[in-house]
Amino acid sequence: MPDHDVLVVGGGFSGMRAAIAAKSAGVDAALVSKVYPLRSHSSGAHSGINAALSDRDSWQAHAEDTVKAGDYLNDQDAVEVLCKEGIDDVIQLEHFGAIFSRDGQGKIDVMSFPGSSKARTCYVGDSAGHIILQVLYEQLLKHRVQTYNEWFVTSLLVDDGTCRGVMAQDLASGALVPLYAKAVVLAGGGIGRMYQPSTSAFGATGDAAALAYRAGAPLMDMEMVQYHPTTLQNKGLVVTEAARGHGARLVNGAGEAFMSSFAPATGDMAPRDLCSRAVAAEIEAGRGNEGCVFLDFQHLDGALVDDLLSETQLLVKSMTGVNLQKQLVPVRPAMHRPIGGIQVDLQGAVSAVAGLFAAGECACPGVNGANRLGGNTLLESAVFGRRAGEAAAAHARTASANRGPESLASDEEKRLQDLGARTGGEDSIGSIRSELAAAMHEKVGLSRDGAGLQQASDKIAELQARYQRVSIAAAGGPYNPSLSSLLELGNMLDTAQVIAASALARQESRGAHYRTDFPERDDGNWLQHTLATRAPEGPALAYKPVTITQWQPQRRAY
Amino acid sequence: MEFNVKVRRHDPSANGKSPTQTYTIDIEEDATVLDALMRIREEQDGTLAFRGSCRSGFCGDCSMRLGGKNKIACRTTMAQVVKGDEVTVDPIRMIKVAKDMMFDVEDMVYAKYEAVEPWVEPAQPLPEREHKVSNEVVKDLRKVMSCTMCWLCDEGCTTMLVDRKFLGPAALTKAYRVVADPRDSRTNERLHNLSDAKGVWDCCHCFEATEHCPKGIDPTERIFAIRDKAMKIGAGNYRVKGHYKSFMASVKKAGWVDETRLAIDTEGGFTHFLAQIKQIPLGLKALKRGKMPRPYFLHPKRPGADKIRNIFRKVEAQK
Repeated sequence: MPDHDVLVVGGGFSGMRAAIAAKSAGVDAALVSKVYPLRSHSSGAHSGINAALSDRDSWQAHAEDTVKAGDYLNDQDAVEVLCKEGIDDVIQLEHFGAIFSRDGQGKIDVMSFPGSSKARTCYVGDSAGHIILQVLYEQLLKHRVQTYNEWFVTSLLVDDGTCRGVMAQDLASGALVPLYAKAVVLAGGGIGRMYQPSTSAFGATGDAAALAYRAGAPLMDMEMVQYHPTTLQNKGLVVTEAARGHGARLVNGAGEAFMSSFAPATGDMAPRDLCSRAVAAEIEAGRGNEGCVFLDFQHLDGALVDDLLSETQLLVKSMTGVNLQKQLVPVRPAMHRPIGGIQVDLQGAVSAVAGLFAAGECACPGVNGANRLGGNTLLESAVFGRRAGEAAAAHARTASANRGPESLASDEEKRLQDLGARTGGEDSIGSIRSELAAAMHEKVGLSRDGAGLQQASDKIAELQARYQRVSIAAAGGPYNPSLSSLLELGNMLDTAQVIAASALARQESRGAHYRTDFPERDDGNWLQHTLATRAPEGPALAYKPVTITQWQPQRRAY
Repeated sequence: MEFNVKVRRHDPSANGKSPTQTYTIDIEEDATVLDALMRIREEQDGTLAFRGSCRSGFCGDCSMRLGGKNKIACRTTMAQVVKGDEVTVDPIRMIKVAKDMMFDVEDMVYAKYEAVEPWVEPAQPLPEREHKVSNEVVKDLRKVMSCTMCWLCDEGCTTMLVDRKFLGPAALTKAYRVVADPRDSRTNERLHNLSDAKGVWDCCHCFEATEHCPKGIDPTERIFAIRDKAMKIGAGNYRVKGHYKSFMASVKKAGWVDETRLAIDTEGGFTHFLAQIKQIPLGLKALKRGKMPRPYFLHPKRPGADKIRNIFRKVEAQK
């Protein structure tokens, strides 16, 4: 295997964007992903990408909305970068070949979106993520970025505080192969598989966060776990917020609109944390229907739905049989996206490990605060994916090629062989994962309290002990998912432990983190980021002040 | 409900044998087959190999044959494909299977996709802001880009069945995406390339691709649209041009196709003497079986031929 200048782990929006940026900067770049890039979950981001393109908008207004939605836990310098540079990044995507729905003049159109004070979301019907993912793959081919598709990364090879590459299993052959690089960019996506219900793909198992955490990098604000307010009953699949942007309404079991009693000023256009809790409260109060409320599309113009919500219509029809133009769609909140992640600076660099960078859902540059504004994820991938790729390329240009000691790879190979050879144990991967997912949803979900979080932490500790005894029938050979499934479960457990510990420690309610025993925001004590670092006895928590530039914390009202 | 899920287990080390294995699983009837397979992998058999990612029909990863039909496993419920209490799961057939439901995607899938160079190359210098594009164009591109690359159209393609080098409807639909994009500056070059052997002219119009597409993208029509654009710029080799010209001329003149002349013109007419000689054995074979069409100088007008000619005149006048 050749050694690379920059190796990107993850083939979604952020990963491909980083690889393209690194290659464009003139260094050799490769991308390793456990699924083919087109299969990444960025395709599930239906809504759109925020950017202040309109004459009636400004990056400052976008930044203010982002900070307010984030309940003032955002690092405002990062938010400024996101909203300022994001405008050019969206134009760049258009130049790459991304299509966007247009206005009457043929310019990129913008639509209203929950949580935003102005029409700002660039969209492509209801399939922006899917379209942009394809366009980035087109560019990946154009730029001749080498890809290792269906390779599972088992660990980072870190020596002397410097990342030398990764160890990976080529799933097609089963072989364990070290991939060396001067710089590694983690863009491994989310954590949803440890929650049930969740909107995530199968692959969202917290891999990147766990790899970085084990390598000594702090995870920031992991207690902030975003729920999506409108997902399909039983399945947890997202019904895009663009639906409400186009005028669909949330109604309860009795058919009454209820959002204005939770968010008097914005009603159905309230941001995600507030809206998810409102839906849950409505169901809790007995005003739901079979554990759901309804999303009502029936008053919308049929032609508009056929055009701009066509994918949603097809999804709802094929998954539930409901014709949304004539019937109510049962929805409930489900876990959607981690807001915290690997702590990175504005260049995507991980300060604890030289040569390591991260971007996208697995990373936390501080833009999203305690609650992510809908439509900002794709933008974050565009801006910080590019920045991480550029920074990794710059690092690779000055770093010397060094594989570190040979034991780096051979020790990891030995560990994996031992894992594969383990025998005994009664648990299956599924039994542990489903217990974990149930505990996370019930105790570390939309609303939390100290007792529940302690129980969740205990449960995770118990599952971690049981995990040590899980054995797999056979680890090697072509397309044998046994070893990667086992490692994914380990990644979920480690990440879950950090989430529960961070949530237990934060004794206030802010954004997505809602504590029934501490229902108020407490700026005096908690206007600070949680940093969790791995220690022998579990996550060691430290705190870091929030960077405030121009938006002072205020009471948050919608 | 309790299901017996009967899965084809292809093991590359087992001398090409692919036995089936049946797993019994208790799962809701409205659970998707993909959910059922994942549960089997997590709880019963960690070696079961299949692809699947987004769970919602957007990523195109989980194409397989369920109950004997080509399906997207995450958009197919157990109830839709169960017979009695049995659900059969097999890999798709067109592409070589690597293990269980995993087919070898590099040659048949990604290489063809890459071969059409499916990236937009806008004219330089780039505009300062976005290109101006009409919403009508965007709607068309949106439809074609809703393709998830599930490759079920290739699975249904009857040309690929006999010629595995044919680019196939999936790659050609992707080619349409760039050919139809007004921002692209390489349109003519692309149309010439796509008119080469193994390209758009090898499609045999069976419409199986369109039938197989779970997104209603209509890949067959996309191939026709590329052909139309190619003809307009004079792309395509002399056979294609001869074929089209001859077809048009004989229908315009007599109201129906003169098949003998079509065969001769497709090979370049009588000036391509050697090519015509090569057709003689085929002609003799047809003659022997009574399938030789009558020579063109005996090709009479069909009833209503004048009306057909009028249609031609009208269309030509519109241009």
